[in-house]
Amino acid sequence: MVDHPPFHQQQLSNGLTIVIEPMADVSSVALGFLARTGARDEHPGVAGVSHFLEHMCFKGTARRTWQNITIDFDTLGSTYNAYTSKDRTFYYGWVPAEKLEQQLELLADMMRSSLPTEEFDMEKKVVLEEIAMAGDQLDSLAYDFLHEQVYADQSLAWPVLGYEQTIAPLTRDQMNEYLQRRYSADNLILIVAGRVDPLQVTRLAERYCGGWPRAQITAASRNPPLPRPGQSAKVVERFTQQVIAEVFPCPGGRDPWNETAEVLVSILGGENSRCFWNIVQQGIAPRAGAFRMEYEDGGLIILTGQCDPADSAALLTALRLEAQRITREGVTEVEVQRVKNRMRTGLAIEGEAPYYRLSQLMDDVDYRGRPRTVGERLAAVDAVTPQMIADYLREFPITTGGHLISVGPRHWLPD
Amino acid sequence: MDVCRHEVLSNGIEWAALNLPDRKTITGELRFLTGFVHEPATQLGINHLVEQTIDKGTTRRTGHELHDAFDALGARWASWSGREATGFQITALPEYFDAALALVAEFLLMPTFPTEAVDVAIQNTLDEITHLDDDPQELTSKLFHRRVYGPVLGRHLYGEADELRGVTSAQVENFWRTHYVPGRMQASFAGPLDANRLAASLEKLFPAQGAITGRERLTFDFQPGYHHQSKELEQEHIAICYPGASLDHPQRFAQRVLIAVLSGGMSCRLFTEVREKQGLVYWVTAYTEHPRGVGMVYLGASSTPQRCPQTYTTLIREIERVREDLQADEVQRAITGLVARMQTRGDITAARCAELADDLFHYGRIIPREEKINQISRVTVNDVQAYLQAHPPTPRQVLTLGPDPITLESS
Repeated sequence: MVDHPPFHQQQLSNGLTIVIEPMADVSSVALGFLARTGARDEHPGVAGVSHFLEHMCFKGTARRTWQNITIDFDTLGSTYNAYTSKDRTFYYGWVPAEKLEQQLELLADMMRSSLPTEEFDMEKKVVLEEIAMAGDQLDSLAYDFLHEQVYADQSLAWPVLGYEQTIAPLTRDQMNEYLQRRYSADNLILIVAGRVDPLQVTRLAERYCGGWPRAQITAASRNPPLPRPGQSAKVVERFTQQVIAEVFPCPGGRDPWNETAEVLVSILGGENSRCFWNIVQQGIAPRAGAFRMEYEDGGLIILTGQCDPADSAALLTALRLEAQRITREGVTEVEVQRVKNRMRTGLAIEGEAPYYRLSQLMDDVDYRGRPRTVGERLAAVDAVTPQMIADYLREFPITTGGHLISVGPRHWLPD
Repeated sequence: MDVCRHEVLSNGIEWAALNLPDRKTITGELRFLTGFVHEPATQLGINHLVEQTIDKGTTRRTGHELHDAFDALGARWASWSGREATGFQITALPEYFDAALALVAEFLLMPTFPTEAVDVAIQNTLDEITHLDDDPQELTSKLFHRRVYGPVLGRHLYGEADELRGVTSAQVENFWRTHYVPGRMQASFAGPLDANRLAASLEKLFPAQGAITGRERLTFDFQPGYHHQSKELEQEHIAICYPGASLDHPQRFAQRVLIAVLSGGMSCRLFTEVREKQGLVYWVTAYTEHPRGVGMVYLGASSTPQRCPQTYTTLIREIERVREDLQADEVQRAITGLVARMQTRGDITAARCAELADDLFHYGRIIPREEKINQISRVTVNDVQAYLQAHPPTPRQVLTLGPDPITLESS
C-alpha cells in the first residue's frame, strides 16, 4: 500500500498545535479545530455548556454576525459542521483545495466567539429542542443512562446536551468563563488533511491564530474514569423495544492494548462476527454486537443488543455466552486475519479522502498524542495475535465486573 | 475530462466504468431494477427478504463461508433495497476486486435461500417493523409515504407484518428467479480499473442471455390532504409534500438550486428563518425524492408541541415567500455549494461509483460531471421563478406525528 508523505507537526509560540497531512492525489482539503474540551470538563451545575458553546460559536464574532458566518461557509461551498462529545469539540470544513485560506480564517474566527447576548437566549431554545428530540430516541436515552450509571458521581456521567434544568438557567457569563478557560491556544489543535502546502498552512495559522492567548489549563486536569460495576434499569413505557447492554472497563486511546481491544470487539461483535451469526442469525435478537467507547485515559467495551422486551433474558444470556466462549476458547488466527484484511481495505478507503483522514487524525492526535500514517496504523493492527487477545482478556475480563444496563418499556434485570 | 465507458453487454447487463488511475480502491455497484413496487400484494416485504437472505448460502458455500470468503479478500460489501431497485455494493483493493466480484456473482446467481435463514429474516423484519415505533422520523416517513404515493409506490420496504408471516423460502426463491435477471441489472464501477477486463468478467460471470427489462415508469395519483397520527412524544414531527420536477424534467436543475436555497447550508432560508431567527427547531430540511419519472418536494421539521403550529406556519410562509423575493446572491451561493460539494465528494471513489449508478438509473446514460456543473451553474433567478410557477407548493399533503394535531387554516 502506498503511504502518504510524513506529517508536518509544529506548535506556535502561543501553544497552538498544528498537524498537517499533505495528500497528493486529491483535489480537496479538510481542516478543523479540535478543542480538547467536552462534557467531562464541565461542572455539574453547567452540564451541557460545552455543547451549547459549540452552537454559540456559529452565532457571532467580533468581525462577523451569525448571518456572515453561515453565508461565508456557504459561499465557500464548504461541507461543514461541528460536534461535541464527552471530551472534545470539533469544528470542521471540507472545501476545494483553493479555498483553504478562507476556510481556515473563518474557522479560526469562530474560535474567538463574541457570544452575542442577543443570540444567547434564542440559541438556548434550539438546544432545548435538541434535548427534547433526544428524549424521543431510545438509543440516545440508553447511551445517557449508561453513562449516568457506570460513571456515577464522575464528570463522564453528564449528558453531552446537558439537562433542561442546567441549560435553561445557564447565563452568558458562565459560558464566557468556560470559553476563556477552555478555548485557549494551548488547548486547541488545528488539523489539516488534503492537497496543501504545509508551509502555507503554517503561515496562515500564524496569521489567523498567532495572537490567541495561552492559558495553561488543559485536559491533563481530568480525573481518570472509574467505571462502576452493578446493574441498573430505566423504564420508558412509550418505547416498544428493550436495550440490553453489559459494559466492561477497557484501556483508553493512549494504551498499547488499543489495537488488541479493537480486533477483539470486531471478532466478537462487528461485521461477520460471532454475535451476528450466533445471536442475530439465530433469531434471538434483531440487533446484537459489541463495540468500544474510548477516551484518552479509559474506556468501555459494550456488549449490547435490542430486542422485544420479552426476549431480554435470552439476549443477555446469548451475549454472556459469547463473552464466556471467547474468554475460555480464545480466537483463531483466521479470525484475526479477517479483521486485518477488512481493516486494510478500510484504511485504503480512508487514505483516499481528506474528510475521512481528518477524522482519524483527530483521534490519533487527541488520544495518542501524535498523528499516525495509514501504514503505521495497519502495522499496529497487523501485530495483533490470538495470544495477545487472550492476554488482554486476562487483564481486562469481559465476563466479570461489568455493569448491566436495561432500558425500555419493561423493568427487567436478571434475578 | 473523465473518460467513462457505457454499454449494454450481450447478456443484457447495462454497465458503466470510470477509470480513476490514482485511486487505491475499486468500488462496484450491481443494481437490479427490482424493488418493493414489484412485489405481489400478498407478499409485501419479500424483496427485502431476498436482499437479506441472498447471501446466506449458495450451492457452493454456506452463508458463513461466503462472508469468510469476502473477509479473506478484505472486500467490503453492503446491500440495500428500495422502491424500484436493489443494490449490492462492493469495495476492494484493486488486486482483489475480480475475486470479490466473482463472489458477488456467486450469491446473486446461486443462492439457496435456506429455510432457517428466511425464517430468521422474517422474524428480524417483524422486530424492525415494531422498532419503527421507537423512531419518530422513520415512522413519520413510513406513514407519510403511504399517503403521498398511495398503495404501490407508497409501500414500505419491510412490508406488512401479516403478509410477511406467511412468506415461504420457496416464494423468496421464486421472486428472486423472476426479478433478479441480467436484463434488470445495471452495473457501475469506479477506481483504477481495466474496463475491457471488467466487461469480459461480467460476461463470463453472468452468462445468461437476457432482454433488457425493468425500465418501465410507474405512475400514481397525488392526493392532497392532512393527517395527524397521535403518539406520545416529546416533539411533534411535521412532514409536507407537493409535486415537483422529475430528474429528466428540463427544470430539474432549477429545482436543485431552489432546494439548496431552502436547505443547502446554514445560511439557507429554512435554517435561518425556522431555527436561527425563532429557535423553533433543532433540525429542519427540504429535499426531493425521485421515483423514476417523478419528482416530489418534501419539507420536514420537529419541535415541541406548543411550538409546532408556529413551525408549520413558518415552513409554509418560507416556501411561498421564496416566490416573491428570491435574490441573485442566494442563487449564486446555492450554485457554489452544489458545485463545490460535487468537487470535494469526487475524492471519494465510492461516491463516484454511486454517481454513475444513479445516472444509469435515472437517465440511461452517464452525464459527464462537466455537463452537470455547467447546467447547474447556468441557473438564474428567472429559471427558479419559472420553476416555482410551474411547480407551486399547493396543493400539498401534510402529516403530523405527536401528541396534538394542528389546525392548518389557523396556523
